[in-house]
Amino acid sequence: MVERIDDFERELKEKLRVRPAPVGFADRVMARVPARRTWSWKWLGMPAWRWAVVTLLVAGMVVGGVEREREQRVAGERAREQVLLALRITGSTLRDVQQKVNTGGQVKFSQKGAGRTVLEKDEQ
Amino acid sequence: MDQSPETFRGMVERHQARVFSIAFRILGETGVAEEVAQDVFLELHRNLGRIENDEHVAAWLRRVACHRATDALRRRAARGDAAAEEYQDGMALRPVVRDLAPVMNRVEQLLLTLPPSQRAVMLLRYQEDLEPENIAVELKMPLATVRSYLQRGVKMLRAKAERTLKEYSRG
Repeated sequence: MVERIDDFERELKEKLRVRPAPVGFADRVMARVPARRTWSWKWLGMPAWRWAVVTLLVAGMVVGGVEREREQRVAGERAREQVLLALRITGSTLRDVQQKVNTGGQVKFSQKGAGRTVLEKDEQ
Repeated sequence: MDQSPETFRGMVERHQARVFSIAFRILGETGVAEEVAQDVFLELHRNLGRIENDEHVAAWLRRVACHRATDALRRRAARGDAAAEEYQDGMALRPVVRDLAPVMNRVEQLLLTLPPSQRAVMLLRYQEDLEPENIAVELKMPLATVRSYLQRGVKMLRAKAERTLKEYSRG
């Protein structure tokens, strides 16, 4: 739809033409634009002592990690051995019980020694 | 869109007059208008990733400039700055508006007597030469409101212009 524009509206258009921005406006805007952080080869140019500190930190972290892993592995193996020992003792005890049951004797349990369960046959 | 500093500087240079004019004509002060216009460009810089092309830049800048300038005017009004609220349907321009005479032309001074959102609509129509349909889209306003603002705005400005002319001729 084309609207009729009268003299007053024409004057509005004329007087409301775009004004120039103040001198140096673009420079002032650009000065406020935050600098974008980009990776720079300058980082490689840092002093030797900084490189040494960085290397020591990284090496320390690696050695610490390896040592921790070794300790965990040793603890795991120790626990496994204990479980196997317990299974062996239980197995031998059960075998003895089976034997006594098969020979028809009465079986009683007694605690002897360092916590080992020993079977004794009641010779009645 | 390319986000290099050179491209952004090009955008600022191409659109600075438009953004500054909108801010200046809504706010009526050069210093505050420049501050708002700079903020608008910094906001554009933060949103460059979402801008598709130069036409989109122009529309984005117009819209954000109108909103930020109107926001600044409201903040000023909230602080109780008398210069911010000149838009009653008074008989003559207040002294504070007359003080702007050396910088602003008569139409710009009269524009300051309209409510801020109406100023924005009038600017997009007469400064930016946008059709009411496009203004409605850019300012996210109902078309009927835009048309009504334009009609009432022109009528009020015409009446005020005639009044000030009479006052001027009476001396």
